[in-house]
Amino acid sequence: MKVKAKLKNGVVSVKCMAKHVMTTYDIAAKQTGNRDDANFITHISASVNGKTVWEASTSQFLAKNPIFKYKFSGVGAKGDKVEMHWVDRKGKTGKGKGKIK
Amino acid sequence: MQRRKFLSLVGLGAVAMSAAPVALSATDWRADKPDVWTAHSVDDAIKAMFGSKAITEGDVTVTTPDVAANGGAVPVNVKSGIKAKTVSVFQDANPESAVIVFDCNEYSIINYDMKMKLKSVGEPITVTCVVEGTDGKLYLGKRTLDVALGGCEG
Repeated sequence: MKVKAKLKNGVVSVKCMAKHVMTTYDIAAKQTGNRDDANFITHISASVNGKTVWEASTSQFLAKNPIFKYKFSGVGAKGDKVEMHWVDRKGKTGKGKGKIK
Repeated sequence: MQRRKFLSLVGLGAVAMSAAPVALSATDWRADKPDVWTAHSVDDAIKAMFGSKAITEGDVTVTTPDVAANGGAVPVNVKSGIKAKTVSVFQDANPESAVIVFDCNEYSIINYDMKMKLKSVGEPITVTCVVEGTDGKLYLGKRTLDVALGGCEG
């Protein structure tokens, strides 16, 4: 996954994209006839220097290859890495990181 | 190809393990409150998440386009100045209403952008955001929009 992070005035702004099919139960039923083939990210989070800075539990209703933007402050300096991690319904995981610029 | 990836993961065992704890210590609202994610109406999802607590309209702003051209990827922003424990987003178009629940901590700034699927149901739909303050109170903001075509059917 791609992670871009910028620090300005004490606030780190992150834009990230996870590559994922994000199929809903309805879409899976249409594609394969089996609702259980649906696969979407169920949890996604970001951390800097071991501290969680953003975290969400998610549903089937996020877009394909979802893009998120978020901000945080109080941790992270230029050069530090924002590390991201996601888990999907089938247990697969994905990760990415970006240096704070 | 997949076996090679797996082997390289095992090789990087130490690094992989240090990345894992972030997920392990995290809150998984899908596991903790499964009824939230199967609830059809926004009210039922809110009740499953928070119980029958009072909610007041507050410093919670939901921003979307007036008309979403592509229901498969509608840009939604939620913003709030409230010191929060969680931020939940619901909508009344899709088969289930819960979209996402953010966990907040001392580093969080509530200004989240995301792209969601919204079903085109032939009438305006409402995206609702509930901020659970660290004061234990619930605050709400919402936004009504039209969705042109497509939606959670892709």
